[in-house]
Amino acid sequence: MNQPRRSGRERPQPTGHYNITQLQRQAQQPHPRATEMDLPFFVLVCLLVSMGLVMVFSASSASAYYRFGDSYYFIRSQLKWAVLGLVLMLATARLLNEKLLDLMVYPVVAVSLITLVLVLTPLGTELNGAQRWLFGFQPSEIAKLALILSMSKLICNNRKRIKTWEGGLLPCMLLLALFCGLVVLERHISATVLLLGIGVILMFIGGINVNWLCGLGAAGLGALGLVVLVSDYAKRRMYLWLNPEVEPLKGNFQITQSLLAIGSGGMFGLGIGKSRQKYMYIPEPQNDFIFAIICEELGFVGALIIILVFMLLIWRGFTIAYAAPDRFSSMVVVGIISQVALQTILNICVVTGLVPNTGIALPFFSAGGTSLVVLMFEMGIVLAISRRAKI
Amino acid sequence: MNRQDIDNKTRRRMTVVLFLFLTFTFTFILGRLFIVQILRHESYQTRAIEQQVRDTTITPRRGTIYDRNMKTLAVSASTETVYIAPKSMKDESERVLVATELSRILGVEYETVLKKSRNENYYEIIKRQVEKEQADLVRAFVKEHQLSSVALAEDSKRYYPYGAFASHVLGFTNVDGEGIEGIEAYYNDLLIGKPGRIITAKNAHGTDMPFQYEQYIDAQNGYSLVLTIDEAVQHFIEKGLENAVVEFNVQNRATAIVMDVNTGAILGMATKPDFDLNNPREITDPELLAELEALSGSEYSDRQMEIWQSMWRNKAIADSYEPGSVFKILTAAMALEKNVVTTHESFHCPGFKVVAGVRIGCWKHGGHGTQNMLEGLKNSCNPVFMELGSRVGGADFYDFAEAFGLLERTGIDLYGEATGIFFDKNTIAGGPVETAVAAFGQTFKVTPIQMITAVSACVNGGYLYQPYLVSKVVDDNGNVLESYDPVARRQVLSEQTAATVATMLEQVVSTGTGKNAYIKGYRIGGKTGTSEKIDEKNEEGVADKRISSFCAIAPADDPQIALLLLMDEPETDVVTGGLTAAPTVRKMLEDILPYLGIMPQYTEEELASLEHTVPDVTGLPIPDAREQLKGEDFVPTVIGDGETVLEQVPRSGQKLSRGGKVLLYTESGATGSLKEVPDVTGLSLSAARSKLEKAGFNLSTAGVDLGSQEAHAVAQSPIAGSLAEEGSVVEVEFVHEVSSEWVNVSY
Repeated sequence: MNQPRRSGRERPQPTGHYNITQLQRQAQQPHPRATEMDLPFFVLVCLLVSMGLVMVFSASSASAYYRFGDSYYFIRSQLKWAVLGLVLMLATARLLNEKLLDLMVYPVVAVSLITLVLVLTPLGTELNGAQRWLFGFQPSEIAKLALILSMSKLICNNRKRIKTWEGGLLPCMLLLALFCGLVVLERHISATVLLLGIGVILMFIGGINVNWLCGLGAAGLGALGLVVLVSDYAKRRMYLWLNPEVEPLKGNFQITQSLLAIGSGGMFGLGIGKSRQKYMYIPEPQNDFIFAIICEELGFVGALIIILVFMLLIWRGFTIAYAAPDRFSSMVVVGIISQVALQTILNICVVTGLVPNTGIALPFFSAGGTSLVVLMFEMGIVLAISRRAKI
Repeated sequence: MNRQDIDNKTRRRMTVVLFLFLTFTFTFILGRLFIVQILRHESYQTRAIEQQVRDTTITPRRGTIYDRNMKTLAVSASTETVYIAPKSMKDESERVLVATELSRILGVEYETVLKKSRNENYYEIIKRQVEKEQADLVRAFVKEHQLSSVALAEDSKRYYPYGAFASHVLGFTNVDGEGIEGIEAYYNDLLIGKPGRIITAKNAHGTDMPFQYEQYIDAQNGYSLVLTIDEAVQHFIEKGLENAVVEFNVQNRATAIVMDVNTGAILGMATKPDFDLNNPREITDPELLAELEALSGSEYSDRQMEIWQSMWRNKAIADSYEPGSVFKILTAAMALEKNVVTTHESFHCPGFKVVAGVRIGCWKHGGHGTQNMLEGLKNSCNPVFMELGSRVGGADFYDFAEAFGLLERTGIDLYGEATGIFFDKNTIAGGPVETAVAAFGQTFKVTPIQMITAVSACVNGGYLYQPYLVSKVVDDNGNVLESYDPVARRQVLSEQTAATVATMLEQVVSTGTGKNAYIKGYRIGGKTGTSEKIDEKNEEGVADKRISSFCAIAPADDPQIALLLLMDEPETDVVTGGLTAAPTVRKMLEDILPYLGIMPQYTEEELASLEHTVPDVTGLPIPDAREQLKGEDFVPTVIGDGETVLEQVPRSGQKLSRGGKVLLYTESGATGSLKEVPDVTGLSLSAARSKLEKAGFNLSTAGVDLGSQEAHAVAQSPIAGSLAEEGSVVEVEFVHEVSSEWVNVSY
């Protein structure tokens, strides 16, 4: 190798201001040679996926049996999706490079926007008052990736003008508003919140003025307050959240049952497969509330281990982001990892009653094909980037 | 696209995001999990188990109650409870279906079931103690419609095979199987057993998960009791009581107790009218029912409860009464024990006695004249006993009453035992009038069980026993777990005094006011009593309500049993114990004594007057028939010219006194003509006999005779005016004319 190894850490860079020569020099430098993908990250992903499969089986067997007379009903399909996801992840990790990643942005955004619109038409399926399903998959899952890719690209493109109003905040806000707006129309609150979170994190990392972001945050909170005030639905959600003891058999049924499961798990849990709350007490225990079953069966210790694995994954993801070959891929990694982190945190907060109940899946664990496949494709992207990262 | 380097600012901001993620996770999420899983673990676990676990109680089988010969008096049989799980009902049509069918099968209100089926729970009882037949119908219905909302659970019901038999002693259970009256209540803890449990996990739909977490704790069946009650003895006194209540128009129930004087064991205890143990809440008295119908609301339920309480009240232990002359047994015993009198000491009765300036009358206004103490008891003479009371003295009288157990409960194994009302010691010790009146059993109250226990002590050698009803506790396999021995509480009298009292009591029955209790061949002792209810006066302020009673002991030479009969407010022409209670006691003892294996031993005089059984002489040649009938002291009369007896009247097996006529028909088709039976009531034995013989009938005495001219016929069968075959037997019941013996003691 003629080129001396370089990394951001070795070479001090002038902050904020760039001159043409620097940029030209960077552009002329060839990409670092691809190496093997990051093994720790890969192991962590595999660990989470396999633990997820075990827990989906454990949590779903009872309700699957009672609903379909087949204990394997959910795990069978989950296993198929996991295998598909694994193949997709490995293929992505192997084949994807910076160029392809760059090329991917517009098609993904296009597919996402089309599906987000289609789901609002009669083609979409309504479930529990939310129109979020299209031919069995959730467009909002793709929307997250589309937002990550498009906003990272937008920020990198506008790097020099990022601190300005018209070059930074405004275009980012418009992009975010586009996605969020469409998802709001689905009445999919949790996905909206996730998109907002991912968007804000990317804007922050991209260098948007913190004061503006704070102002934005304040405005967001104000808007949320306004929604709570005008919407009976939101008001009721807030009321139930603030008064967890009311309506244990109606409005707070899920959360009450969830807490009973978590609480009865204790330090070491009832043992894998021995949940009692999965016997129809917790509705759809293999989905959003799977973490409650985990706590019940594996106890505080088991839950702690799983949370630690998630934290390791997040930490490793950020390590990859630090050492990414360029700023765009770095931001994509951060976006993806942030999505996993936000979703995990939000899910556990819902399950433990820390935030109002809203449907949000636990990455790698909750049963659901689209979610898992898209997630593993995203992991594939991270792994692909890790191959050229200088860790 | 330009490849951009990652600048430090980007990296710094990434670090901030990572830091926020990690700290948030650590603090909020792990903190929250710690609180829920560790700190609040127990409360959540309790709540979770509450909903996940179904705790089904297995009702233990309640113990059986046996009489002393192991006849079953009360037994539990398994039945079932039908219940519904309203929340498992899919829709309104299922509710209507269930309500319609269950109300049809079980006879419950349609509306009630429908209302219950709309509740928000998983358990509503529709009917308990459902018999197997109906339960099977419910099961078939559930199966036919594949219902998960209707189910059955094990349950039990108490059966009393003899219905109203010994109802006040046995008591009954409520719907939960807990004894609430009688033996059932007193021994509830032994009878009830220990419930078992089935703990099963259930899912949120309320369905059992049969393969998991099942724990089975066996139910322990209740212990069974063997009573001292003898089914036959109980039956005999109940029969006697039932007839007496009707015959003497008893207004305030009658009661009888039979006690083994040497142990205190109760062989029989009954109160009439009674109630059906299988349906204890049914009010049968039409007057009370009509009264109840007129009420409503709380007035109705209050009155209903009142009626129930009085219906269920065991008169033998719960009501106290003025013992009257029966108490003279005790006064006599006290005087003899204190040696202040001998049985042959003479007294004079002018018809009254003046005590401390107060003139207190005898029931016989003309007075009994001169008589010894034994005659005083036979005549039930009040002045004699006033004198005896004075000699014993108020203080000692009180101490004796205490020793006889009249001031405290006897301790019989039943709830609701009352104590009597007695003087306090100072009143009676310093009150000669009180002592004199108390000496013949007035102005204080005792319970029947206290009275019979004390009388038993007077004849059994002087020992006061604690009466008891349960002799043994046995388990399912008949193993005796515990037997209760008789408890002698104290010796009140010397054996000698007791023996004297027993002898004196025999005299009362054989030749005194207790004659009507006499049974040929038996040595029966006893004392009559007619007391006035001095606390219940009529509009004119006169206490006109009476209690007539009789207390018998048998055999008098070796007392085995005591029998106390008490009729509260008989309303007939005659109300005295000697005319009402004594004959009733006789009828009871006629059955009881042979049953208990106490055989009659006739005196020669009795043998002579004993009725014989007519032998079967049909088919015999005339001379043989004559021979055989003459051998039995009967007078044969041959009718017709045949050579063999074709028909005889009276027929074989009937009782007939010596000299009775037996008609022998020798020609086919020739039988006696029907004749009208004359009225013999009110006549003496000889007059009745000659009147019947004149009319062509034979006489059989169904009671005392001994040819006494005092006795008069009170009933006959067949009744006067009816037609009967010539030569047939007319049974006539005689009662001795014993003078009324009660006295108005409002001195």
